[in-house]
Amino acid sequence: EELVLSSWLPPRHPIVVNAIEPWADEVEKVTDGRVTVRVLRKPLGSPAAHFDMARDGVADITYGLHSFTEDDRFKGAELGQFSFLGDDAAANSGAFWSVYRDKLGAEQEHAGTKLLGLFMHGPGLLHNNKMEITQVSDLQGMKIRVPGGYAADLMAGLGATPLFMSSPEVYEKLSRGVIDGVAFTYEALTAFRLTDDIKYSMTVPGGIYNTTWFLVMNQGKWDGISAEDQAAIEAISGEAFAARVGKAWNDADAAAEAEIEKAGILLYPAPAPVEEAIRMQASKLEAAWADTLDDDRDGLAALATFREMTGAAAE
Amino acid sequence: MTRAFLSALRGLSALLLAALILVTVTDVVGRYILNAPLPGAFELTQILLALLVFAALPLTTARREHVEVDLMAHVLTPRLIRAFGIFAALVTAAALAFFAVRLGIVAGDQAATGARSAALGLPMAAIAGVGVASCAVSAAIALAGARNP
Amino acid sequence: MTASLIAFALLLGLAFLRVPIAFAMALTGAAGFAMLRGPDAAGAMVGQAVFETGLSYSLSVVPLFIFMGNVLAASGIAHGLFSGADRLFGRFRGGLAMATVLSCGGFSAVCGSSLATAATMSKVAMPSMRRFGYHDSLSTGAIAAGGTLGILIPPSVILIIYGILTESDIGKLFVAGLLPGVLGIALYLIAVLVAVRMNPKLAPPVSETVPMSRRDTMGVLGTLGLFAFIMAGIYGGFFTPIEAAGMGAGASLLIAFGMGEMTLAALGRAFADTASATAMIFAIIIGAEIFGNFVSFAGLPDAIADLVYDLDINPWLVMLAIVAIYLALGTVFESLSMILLTVPVFYPVVEYLQFASPILRDPEHVVIWFAIIVVVATEISLITPPVGMNVFVLRSVVRDVQLGTIFRGVFWFWVADILRIALIVGVPSLSLWLVG
Ligand code: NA
Ligand code: NA
Repeated sequence: EELVLSSWLPPRHPIVVNAIEPWADEVEKVTDGRVTVRVLRKPLGSPAAHFDMARDGVADITYGLHSFTEDDRFKGAELGQFSFLGDDAAANSGAFWSVYRDKLGAEQEHAGTKLLGLFMHGPGLLHNNKMEITQVSDLQGMKIRVPGGYAADLMAGLGATPLFMSSPEVYEKLSRGVIDGVAFTYEALTAFRLTDDIKYSMTVPGGIYNTTWFLVMNQGKWDGISAEDQAAIEAISGEAFAARVGKAWNDADAAAEAEIEKAGILLYPAPAPVEEAIRMQASKLEAAWADTLDDDRDGLAALATFREMTGAAAE
Repeated sequence: MTRAFLSALRGLSALLLAALILVTVTDVVGRYILNAPLPGAFELTQILLALLVFAALPLTTARREHVEVDLMAHVLTPRLIRAFGIFAALVTAAALAFFAVRLGIVAGDQAATGARSAALGLPMAAIAGVGVASCAVSAAIALAGARNP
Repeated sequence: MTASLIAFALLLGLAFLRVPIAFAMALTGAAGFAMLRGPDAAGAMVGQAVFETGLSYSLSVVPLFIFMGNVLAASGIAHGLFSGADRLFGRFRGGLAMATVLSCGGFSAVCGSSLATAATMSKVAMPSMRRFGYHDSLSTGAIAAGGTLGILIPPSVILIIYGILTESDIGKLFVAGLLPGVLGIALYLIAVLVAVRMNPKLAPPVSETVPMSRRDTMGVLGTLGLFAFIMAGIYGGFFTPIEAAGMGAGASLLIAFGMGEMTLAALGRAFADTASATAMIFAIIIGAEIFGNFVSFAGLPDAIADLVYDLDINPWLVMLAIVAIYLALGTVFESLSMILLTVPVFYPVVEYLQFASPILRDPEHVVIWFAIIVVVATEISLITPPVGMNVFVLRSVVRDVQLGTIFRGVFWFWVADILRIALIVGVPSLSLWLVG
């Protein structure tokens, strides 16, 4: 059986090269060649469409971000999008796979597909080219590109102006002064060639935001695979995939961090009052999110478990 | 009736296009003069563009401005040309009707999941709904065109 | 690969039966996809393509640049450009045809479409050339060929679409088109000289030049100013190419009303024509997306890439083969659908070709250079029989000229084009020198 995986990241993106493609190769190995995965060179739809594409059978396997579209489908996934979650993408992804499924109904929220993986990238930072942020008021009116959802609400809550645009546009908008800064990972800062435009990068322990991702397969296709092969694929997916993709993000971040330091960008931890303000704003937003969940789901408890698993609770 | 409808669409398209220009100009000028870019300009551009395409599709169909290859026109008899014209109109109508049906499913999906645009919170189902109407009307126009190929 | 080729054949079949190319692509693509994945999956794929194409931010440049061209077409600047060029060349035999070529190049600098350039210039240049006794074949040939420059000299809708398909920098693509565009003008001017030398009956010995009016001068200045505004805006970092389109559209209105020839009715037509052209183009993009998804699922791009790399074919040979394919497809395909269907198949192959030439070390440079090659091949297709869209456009404006006459008139320009594409393929720095 040949399964087709639609991939929208650039073919040489570290996640494609170090996680998606190796996983696809391994599927063939563990099923003794009965199941193969063909990774398409060109995606069969926009990035945002990739969940529906797996559900509707346009492709067999897809991956993507839960936050691509603003809707009510993946409410539980916001678990992995808050601040202070953990600095290790592998640990984060492992915890996300475990907590989202056990406590917040991941399988239900991905109905129509077989959930093969859930993961997160490395910690998000706040980069800008204006000033070293030493107090919350420095953020007042600063125009920050955000990926959407939580990061937007957080920035707005801190007095900054969140703006939306596609990632490739950030470079132009930053160099033209349309935006002053961007919430990005280490890896994205270098991947989108921002090292010449960014001067200050602020970290908070466990990240200022994160994004959550899924790896899913069409349910019908999954049901058509023998139980033996299903078990073999499951063994290299889920937790194992979280570890693999987490390591890929960590390696990419480490390489990017070295580049950032070489570029002379000031990389500094948020000063205590700024971190405190972010914590206050974050817990407000966490509570608001928990309220939107169904009664049988305890979002705040899930967050606490998550942070215990990644060690972020101790910080 | 049809004529009034089409000229209303023409007016609507012009309005959407003017808005599209205005959004960019306001965004750029606002940024340099007032240091205040238009919030949500990115999304407004996307949505205005989608609406413009859907508003104009029936016009293009009515004006028969979809690009075709009239390679054989010089070789064929008038009767054959006419037959091909009817065939092409029917196929066009079928394709547009198919678009309308599938967009209807997309609209239902968007409504069920509550999909909205990230910055402005506009319901995506409404845009898909406009698309359904546009493709359906265009299909009807193409079908009517089969009588007069 | 077989499935893709069958689908291409079916697509051509439907197109020959006069089904609009957009819907021919959509239906063939959907049917092919349904064969591979089932009807539900095909339907979902179609719904998605129709829904999402209109929402594409980067495609907003398409209506904006088209609107700019349409407004300027109604503004009277084309007349100014023609008069200005006539002042330069009026003394020569064939001078009006040369003025036509140059003013086509000028109009191309503010118009993103070849068809619009040809249509606009035909209204200005054709009556003059007729009045002075030019043979219709030379007049229409010069306009049809000169009009093709619209998609090479920036701004260019085709370069924008190429940029979106390959995720390359549209600003750099625009710069890359400049020198090849100038080369195109130069070679076309020579083509006019050759044509009248071979057959002096095509043009009267010398035609008296028409003096330029104040408004003509304004037209020339307006064109130069707008072109400078757009290019300086992009390169000076004041706005993105997408924003440049919006600003250009706004500025074109100022110029048009400043020229004093613009009427409200003409403005209404510019709006309506732009809207209609936009839906026409988006229908083609949607159709190509659906067909492209099928082709990509069927594995055609992978098959071709594997073939090239496994056989380790000389990169120059690959390039020549691709140019040959474009010239062959160009005889029957419409330009936009040709780009949309072929670029996703070819550019992954081209991107990683290992050329010895140092300027082509960088894959980004190769992709930009390939863009110019593709656009020039597309320009050629616009005037190559049997389906030359520019020739058709001209025919619809000048109804009393036979198609055959226009195609005959195009001959020397076509020779100039072949020479130009050979130069552009052979000397990559022509496209890349200004890109840096
Ligand atoms: Na142009
Ligand atoms: Na042709």
